[in-house]
Amino acid sequence: MAERPRFDPYELLGALERRRVAYILIGGFARVIQGTEELTLGIDIVPSMRDENVRRLAQALDDLGAERADGNGLDVSVPSLGEETVLALRTDRGELKVVPKPVGTRGYDDLRWHATGEHIGKGLRPRVASVDDLARMVAALGREQDIPKLLQLRHIAEFELSRGIEL
Amino acid sequence: MTAGRLLREARLRAGLSQGELGKRVGRPRTQIARWEQDAVDPGFGTLRELLRACGFDLHSELVPYEPPQDARLEKNVLLAPERRVGRMLRAVGRRTPTRG
Repeated sequence: MAERPRFDPYELLGALERRRVAYILIGGFARVIQGTEELTLGIDIVPSMRDENVRRLAQALDDLGAERADGNGLDVSVPSLGEETVLALRTDRGELKVVPKPVGTRGYDDLRWHATGEHIGKGLRPRVASVDDLARMVAALGREQDIPKLLQLRHIAEFELSRGIEL
Repeated sequence: MTAGRLLREARLRAGLSQGELGKRVGRPRTQIARWEQDAVDPGFGTLRELLRACGFDLHSELVPYEPPQDARLEKNVLLAPERRVGRMLRAVGRRTPTRG
């Protein structure tokens, strides 16, 4: 069995930043940044689907040596991404999923309004989907195994509200 | 979970704009916005009507009240995002992550 690459979110996000890719961080890593307690070995992003941004994304993925997890050839373009529900990629720094339009949302232009830039160290400040939007995505998947994640997100939302912080 | 958050989640999951939902229930867009911002409480009956207009229903039953007890989660929330990530990455080295 091939050894699993060491998950290094800083390298993954750094590659996106260096190419100035516009994206919103979602999924498990985003939830951890927002305060949930769970483990993940990859990052999930919702990119802006504008032509120039998708070109930058293709360059960043090339920098990372990304390959499709299903073994098929990788084509990163607006038409090909538009056909993907989830583009699952393997890189030397962990898993990277590109999700053009997460279930329960209308994609980047929907999520960016409530996303916030979060300092995660090493000079990186990715835009992270809001707690409410992360909960919306988890709820829309309707998976029983996600209920603990949903409860954590709703608890965080209530806790932050009680502290007078609008998410 | 507040009424406003629940309403916003339902509307967005239905793919409706505030104006479109307003038309469905015969209310102005600005009223929908006020409800979603929790500036005004829509009341139980109106909330149910709004959720149904989004294609959802409010399943209600009485359950024992349990105040939030997840002190560990609240402690985690008080950490800076950088420390939350650091904790998770250290834990990844010790445990098997779950998917999704």
